[in-house]
Amino acid sequence: MLALPLVQWLIFWLGINLDFIKLAFLDVRTDAFTFSNFVTFWDELTSPYGSIKIALINTLKYFATTMLIINPLSLVIAYFIYKKIRGYKIFRIVFYLPAIISSVVMVESFRQIIRPEGIVDAFLHLFGGAIPPVGWLGSPDYATSAILFYTVWTGFGVNMLLFMGAMVRVPTEILEASKLDGCSALREFFVMIIPMIVPTIATLVVVSCTNVISTTGPILLFTNGDYNTATISFWIFEKIYGGGVSGGLSSNYNIVSCTGLCFTLVSLPIILLVRYLMDKVPAVEY
Amino acid sequence: MFKKEERTILTRRSKGEKIVFGIVFALFTIYALSLLLPFVFLAFNSLKGGEEYVDGVGAGRSFFPPAHAIWSNYFNAFKALKITDFNGKQIGFLQMLFNSIWYTVLYVGAGVIASSITAYIVAKYRFRGRRFIDGIAIFSMTIPIIGTTASALKMYNLLGIYNTPLLPIMIGFAGFGFNFLVLRGFFSNLPWSYAESVFVDGGGHMTVFLKIMMPQAVPCLVTLFIMAFIGTWNDYQTLLLYMPSFPTLSSGLYLVERSLTRHVYDYPIYFAALMISVVPIIVLFGLFSDVIMSNFTVGGLKG
Repeated sequence: MLALPLVQWLIFWLGINLDFIKLAFLDVRTDAFTFSNFVTFWDELTSPYGSIKIALINTLKYFATTMLIINPLSLVIAYFIYKKIRGYKIFRIVFYLPAIISSVVMVESFRQIIRPEGIVDAFLHLFGGAIPPVGWLGSPDYATSAILFYTVWTGFGVNMLLFMGAMVRVPTEILEASKLDGCSALREFFVMIIPMIVPTIATLVVVSCTNVISTTGPILLFTNGDYNTATISFWIFEKIYGGGVSGGLSSNYNIVSCTGLCFTLVSLPIILLVRYLMDKVPAVEY
Repeated sequence: MFKKEERTILTRRSKGEKIVFGIVFALFTIYALSLLLPFVFLAFNSLKGGEEYVDGVGAGRSFFPPAHAIWSNYFNAFKALKITDFNGKQIGFLQMLFNSIWYTVLYVGAGVIASSITAYIVAKYRFRGRRFIDGIAIFSMTIPIIGTTASALKMYNLLGIYNTPLLPIMIGFAGFGFNFLVLRGFFSNLPWSYAESVFVDGGGHMTVFLKIMMPQAVPCLVTLFIMAFIGTWNDYQTLLLYMPSFPTLSSGLYLVERSLTRHVYDYPIYFAALMISVVPIIVLFGLFSDVIMSNFTVGGLKG
């Protein structure tokens, strides 16, 4: 019975990945073995306005936002809901909504909220500010920041739920005992709760690392990658799917595979290091 | 009078903590309201006339309720909303809804079946290569291999499943992902003594799996099914790349939006369609939110 899923894995994971490595070394026209894809990749990466360079910088921005803002905040939000803050049942469901509502819907609404003459613009006018006439999404200086803000705004749902699931399993007797000894909520959070849910935190940090690198997020819906908003994975999507200037051509297959290979090789040690560090944190058995 | 919430020592708060909880409550309320704003926007504008909507955007009245609610927008979403695929075939809203349903059910169903098989076998049987399979699962889940899109496209074409209903079944039948991790944890906690009593009564391994183990996993399976269902229902990129002839509500409505720049007066009908596309997910989540909230946990990555 195990054979079927194994065959599926061999074809759709191993097969595809081996072919992917092969494609990176083949010449676009002659299919001969070559390193020319890597040369093209390097040029695009190092030239000042190269598309891959911009995509790499943006990917790093998404990475930092996820690690420094979204993940820690989800943990804090989960803690307050776990502590049964007033209205926690409603908050729990509302905060989870962005995770279940199609991003086509959320992006469309967000775009309307932050457009010039929109509700945020009206609010800014009260303080003498204004959104530039082209809109934040139409300006290369602001577009990526606006999309980053959107990912924070809609980014807590799943992690919050998983953190809460882990917190609920912490034995309440221990928390009660420490409370009797005069432990404050702040100390409880840092000294009791966090060490007890380390395995969940570790898993989510590793998985969100992987997600940042491999998913394109809402970029297609917002700007289609224009205004310097592309990330590495979006750049790849665009080259295959089309929509961009040079997209949707099979002549892109080799350079896409090559770029993917290079970034996989770079991100692999980073992910493994994160996993290694996370494993080093001693987990409490209970 | 009964108190709604049982007060234990854990919910008692000092004065300073009460202030912190008060501030957080205020912040939570603002954030929650901001998350509801999209629905206010959609609900209002899906009931406006085309001109009223366009004028409203120019005048900063997007978040104002419609002068007269035009409910026919919702009928028009079903009737008039169409996209044209690359063969020049017209695909209407009902067809997209139908595509969404079968694509999601096939993809998610195949995934849940595959991962319960692999997770059960790895959790319950000792055999050569077990550690290896475990390793594969963790490895393929945490290593971000990017840029395989081209190879995937080639492979699907080679197998003849590109742009066919076989695709969601074949790529969905993946036994080593997030589902595997959750189910493996679940199955390893189930006692094996049930199985032994079945063997004593002359039952086989299949009987144990289907009659004893799977029924106990139902709440867990339902949770995984619904989580994956929601994700797949909302996925548009896989469909755009590999199933261009079968636009679902997500990928189809994205394509509709692309064409709307030429027909700005159709926006309210598009908003109505978005509202309709959200309904199945809200209903599903509403029905199962308790099951999801209490069963959705994940442990460490180590086996």
